[in-house]
Amino acid sequence: MEFKNFSLFISQTKVNRFADDLAGGKIMSTLCKKCGKQYYPPQADCPSCMGSDMEWKEIKTEGKLLTFTKIHVPPEHFAVRQPLMPFSSIQFEPCPIGILEVEKGLPVMGWIPKMDVKRIKVGMKMKASPFTLPDGKITIVLEVV
Amino acid sequence: MRKVAIVGIGHGKFGVRSDASLRELVFEAVKGCLDDSGLSLREVDSMVTGVAGDEFSFGIQPSAQVHDYIGFHPKPNFRVEAACATGSAALRTGWMTITSGLADIVLVVGVEKMTEVPTSTATEIMGRAGDATWEYPFGTTFPGYYAMIANAHMAEYGTTEEQLARVAVKNHYYGSLNPYAQMQKEITLEKAVTSFTVAYPLKLYDCSLITDGAAAILLASEEKAKSISKKPVWVAGLGCGTDAMRLGDRKSLTSLEATREAAKIAYKMAGVGPSDIDVATVHDCFTIAEVVAYEDLGFCEKGEGGKLIEAKETYVGGRIPVNVDGGLKSKGHPLGATGVSMAIEITKQLRGEADQRQVKNAEIGLTHNVGGSGQVSFIHIFRRQ
Ligand SMILES: CC(C)(COP(=O)(O)OP(=O)(O)OC[C@H]1O[C@@H](n2cnc3c(N)ncnc32)[C@H](O)[C@@H]1OP(=O)(O)O)[C@@H](O)C(=O)NCCC(=O)NCCS
Ligand SMILES: [Zn+2]
Repeated sequence: MEFKNFSLFISQTKVNRFADDLAGGKIMSTLCKKCGKQYYPPQADCPSCMGSDMEWKEIKTEGKLLTFTKIHVPPEHFAVRQPLMPFSSIQFEPCPIGILEVEKGLPVMGWIPKMDVKRIKVGMKMKASPFTLPDGKITIVLEVV
Repeated sequence: MRKVAIVGIGHGKFGVRSDASLRELVFEAVKGCLDDSGLSLREVDSMVTGVAGDEFSFGIQPSAQVHDYIGFHPKPNFRVEAACATGSAALRTGWMTITSGLADIVLVVGVEKMTEVPTSTATEIMGRAGDATWEYPFGTTFPGYYAMIANAHMAEYGTTEEQLARVAVKNHYYGSLNPYAQMQKEITLEKAVTSFTVAYPLKLYDCSLITDGAAAILLASEEKAKSISKKPVWVAGLGCGTDAMRLGDRKSLTSLEATREAAKIAYKMAGVGPSDIDVATVHDCFTIAEVVAYEDLGFCEKGEGGKLIEAKETYVGGRIPVNVDGGLKSKGHPLGATGVSMAIEITKQLRGEADQRQVKNAEIGLTHNVGGSGQVSFIHIFRRQ
């Protein structure tokens, strides 16, 4: 799986495996073998102890929403190029996004496809899951539990 | 350490400048700056150019376009970059060039030519000032980042959309009095709160403008400054702080740690505190950013920023006048020029040359300029003597 299927532009990274796991249904973090610090998004290196010996670990997926928004004026890529904004009909209708804290210091960004933005509240309990879009791209969605 | 002062200021007209290119915009500002100081470029030792995005100017070396066009070669010039805080990074670099003894007189230029590309492209370029790997895949934009800060601030402190709109009303009012401003137009609260949503809850009038513009200042060492200018404005304190790339990794979503850190350093260096500041220009790229800046700079308690604007304490005559040049909101925000433009406004205020926007007897002024969604923040404190 190409990392770009998640990141859209960036294709070369040491944490390429993240995209494979996401496609396989798991949201993975990395854990420093030396000092135990956990990273999400995953990092190949640990600035805490300057080590690079990491192992992969699935994250908890439930947590509380730190914040959110709904972007009506999108970047060019989402406005005029393919793919269109995920979870939108052909007629452009933006999808809210949010940041979910699944554990202290582990923030997971995701789309919130099933909610009216006015009903989204900071502090809400939500769950993050991998999601494969019709065009084969993989992403993350947040849903109320 | 050598003392450094601003001895010349030049500000081009900000706006949709379809009449001028990047280098031509710079020429206007530099010309104004030389006229103001009475110097010629021959007397200037060194130069720093602040430009934020190559993608706006279609060139990887915008600084060379600039020194070429004003004929500054072969003297030193290079570019500095710190996203929306580029202008302040340039000023800081100019200050370092003088305090280090490398030069006595330095020209600091800030410029951006943003309307060469359509809004959607500009939005995309700026959106990538967040984390291009981990945030951008979710369609994030600049307004989007600050909208997330706004929603967190509203949830935690009860800040309202109306309070945010009041920042826009103030800044548009002062913009209407600033001949260099992009939008010299007052707006009503009603108009602001009913404008279209850009990134929920931020609306059109919560956003700064997309702007072409340039600004230039001359910095000089103490000995030179006294002979060049009757009213030198002294750089009394400089602070720079940084924070995590991604919003989610920050200690707080309702304040900018980078600003808090920069403020601590700058206040200490200048030997002053928030209550000593007579006038400030803060980074109001979005109305929420101005509210958060009030709090981070110590102009009010944490969470009280909304009330500070509601009480009109940041108007001229209030407790601490902020962005009385119109701010990024209505003066405009040409990324690389903004930090330099802020220093120019403070210089005018401290010289007593701010006309209808003048804060009476302003002695100490502060500029606050944030890069990205808060990854870096620069604060400069200036004194009349
Ligand atoms: C909000 C934004 C998307 C609007 O851009 P746009 O949709 O292209 O707007 P247009 O240029 O088509 O202008 C439409 C009208 O709104 C006005 N307008 C545009 N931006 C405005 C703003 N921020 N505030 C008030 N009015 C604005 C224009 O003057 C124009 O008025 P007119 O019809 O009377 O001439 C754009 O201004 C923006 O992205 N601002 C944020 C910039 C940013 O992120 N900077 C970096 C921050 S650090
Ligand atoms: Zn480690």
